[in-house]
Amino acid sequence: MMSSPPIEVVLLLAVALGLPLTAFGVIMTLTRSQPRVSAIISLGAIAVAFGASLSLLIAHWGMPTPLVYEITWLVAGELPIPLGVLLDPTSLLMLTVVAAISLLVQIYSLGYMAGDPGFGRYYGCMSLFAWAMLTLTVSSSLIQLYIFWELVGLASYLLIGFWFEKWTASEAGKKAFVMTRLGDTAFLLGLILLWLNLGDLSIAGLNDPQVADRLSPGQLTLAAVLIFGGIIGKSAQFPLLTWLPDAMEGPTPVSALLHSATMVAAGVYLFARLFGFFSLSPAVMTLCLAVGTLSMLLAASMALVSRDIKQVWAYSTISQLGYMLMGLGAGGFTAGVFHLTTHAGFKALLFLCAGVLIHHFDTNDIFRMSQRGSRRQRLTLVCLVIGAAALSGLPPLSGFFSKEMILAHLAVHAHPFWLAAGLLGSFLTAYYTFRLIFVLLRPAAETPSDDAEGHHHSEPFGELCMAAVLVTLAGLTVVLGFGQGALTHFLSAAAGAPPPAPAHHLGWLPVVVLTLTGAAIVAAWWEFARQKRSETGWVDRFPTLATLFARRWYLDDLYRWLLDRVVYGGFSRAFTWNDQRVIDGGLDGLGQTVIDWGAISARLNRSQIQFRLMVLFAVVAVLVLYLAFA
Amino acid sequence: MVPFSHSLLVAALLFGMGLFCLLTRRNLIMMLLGIEVMLNAGALAFVAASLHWQQMDGQAMVLFILTVAATEVSVGLALIVALYRRTGSVDPDPPADRQLAAQAGEGGV
Repeated sequence: MMSSPPIEVVLLLAVALGLPLTAFGVIMTLTRSQPRVSAIISLGAIAVAFGASLSLLIAHWGMPTPLVYEITWLVAGELPIPLGVLLDPTSLLMLTVVAAISLLVQIYSLGYMAGDPGFGRYYGCMSLFAWAMLTLTVSSSLIQLYIFWELVGLASYLLIGFWFEKWTASEAGKKAFVMTRLGDTAFLLGLILLWLNLGDLSIAGLNDPQVADRLSPGQLTLAAVLIFGGIIGKSAQFPLLTWLPDAMEGPTPVSALLHSATMVAAGVYLFARLFGFFSLSPAVMTLCLAVGTLSMLLAASMALVSRDIKQVWAYSTISQLGYMLMGLGAGGFTAGVFHLTTHAGFKALLFLCAGVLIHHFDTNDIFRMSQRGSRRQRLTLVCLVIGAAALSGLPPLSGFFSKEMILAHLAVHAHPFWLAAGLLGSFLTAYYTFRLIFVLLRPAAETPSDDAEGHHHSEPFGELCMAAVLVTLAGLTVVLGFGQGALTHFLSAAAGAPPPAPAHHLGWLPVVVLTLTGAAIVAAWWEFARQKRSETGWVDRFPTLATLFARRWYLDDLYRWLLDRVVYGGFSRAFTWNDQRVIDGGLDGLGQTVIDWGAISARLNRSQIQFRLMVLFAVVAVLVLYLAFA
Repeated sequence: MVPFSHSLLVAALLFGMGLFCLLTRRNLIMMLLGIEVMLNAGALAFVAASLHWQQMDGQAMVLFILTVAATEVSVGLALIVALYRRTGSVDPDPPADRQLAAQAGEGGV
């Protein structure tokens, strides 16, 4: 496995991983003030990287074993820290997905971000983001993965807070950074634990079932739980889920990238990467299933009442990530990774459509959009409906196949409770998605000329870029589902993947799911789209419930309370006291003591130099006499 | 030929006179002169010893002492001149302490 890699693989990898970094460096140091040049550099880099990763994927399609190429980066004591790549179906698929979504989002940004004063900086950060995520996907060891994991966090911080002159944006950036850091701390502790006990953090080594013999069950579970903490933070799962809805303060293309292929996907990707390791600990798999289910339902309930289009999609992201974790936690490796792939496509599509609407109507509120005539944005709405149908799991779109796989896996391998939760989730998903669609489809209340308020007259080229990206993604969403068989076969060769489970044809399951989805769509239509519509969702009939959902189950208030009481009231005060009394006081006391002693000895030594000299001589003379004669 | 003990006696006398000058004069220049006299007393003892034992080492040492003395005097005098320009005094004790000493002298002793 540790042979030296063929030259074409080295070249392709160098291109895929090196160019975005180079683009970042060049843009940030040289061309930041020239928007056009920066965009061309960044786009060129990511386009070539996409081509390289696609050819890697094709070249390794059907390869027998995973390939690991490593070089020693540095040696700490006795332990070498390697830097390398691990090429297996999972990483190659993810590499291609990340490069593709990054490329599409960057093309879209040509139109969306046109004229922004920070255009060059935007493309620089985008390149950094793409580079960090691309390298994360092919990392061969957890140390390297952790480094790029943090770089992804940094890049998303920079992009969420891109409009940092806006108070909410900089706050949202900070919130995302700090909350994910909470999970990362657990991740790092888990890594240290594994390092101390195994001395080896290579992914291939960890997925080896023999790890169970070298670790006690307690240590194994603890390490797995700690690493899972990192996943919770990164993928915005319960209880660290509220940073993601706030992260929409960044530019919409950033949200699209963040929610589909990069930041939040990194968490689920890590779980898939260490799937063999996690499977060794049934407790953690159950925990994963529970956390996924809880986040999925919580986020779906929050999405029921939100009026902000980006927020609805953000909640749906959390909920879909919950689905992925449910699938993975139930042991469905291919189901989880497949849903990750399809979700990347249709979630990017949904966010980019939302971006077009926001760009055009200058508001995030779906009710205001429909008043201003969102119905007339035909192309965008068609794409939006395709994406929404995929999200709800309607055939023949990609979301249908992947969600079906997860649910089938739950039905076969897990307790019926989880399946019921999954079905409830798909009902809620369809409801909130089509609530949004039906609201947007309502006839405009205002005359067409009225939408001039805040209308951005973007250049035709930019509009073309955005439309082209939407159509491409919509096409992908339609087609990708039919690649299920090929992708499943491809993924089953992945490192740590269980042997492909025999295909379960549960005839009743699609029927149940589609009935539920259909019922949800009808309910949404009944409330928001028919002639004598009531305009209020069923949740709004229960004000307490609606408030609970709208306030995100008071999670933010809980954090605020914890922050005020524990962090500010407890730790900060204790540390401040320690700082002022113990450290400052100690240093001041030390200084004062020296000054006092100095004053005393100065008083002893003042003046009468000749008298002292005489005493000195007398003493020396006596000493000499004593030494000479005694 | 002068006996070795005589030259040592002269050296000791010179050293004592220099020390007396150093300890009693209340003028930095005169104190420096006292130091010079003491230094030369040492040099004289070296020359005498060199003569007594017929060794040239002592003479060589004296040449060093003379060189060092020359530089030391020039630096010392320059310091004293600078001090005089700053404070208008060549007294070895600082002015505030002089007052204290004067009061102490009036009070007791």
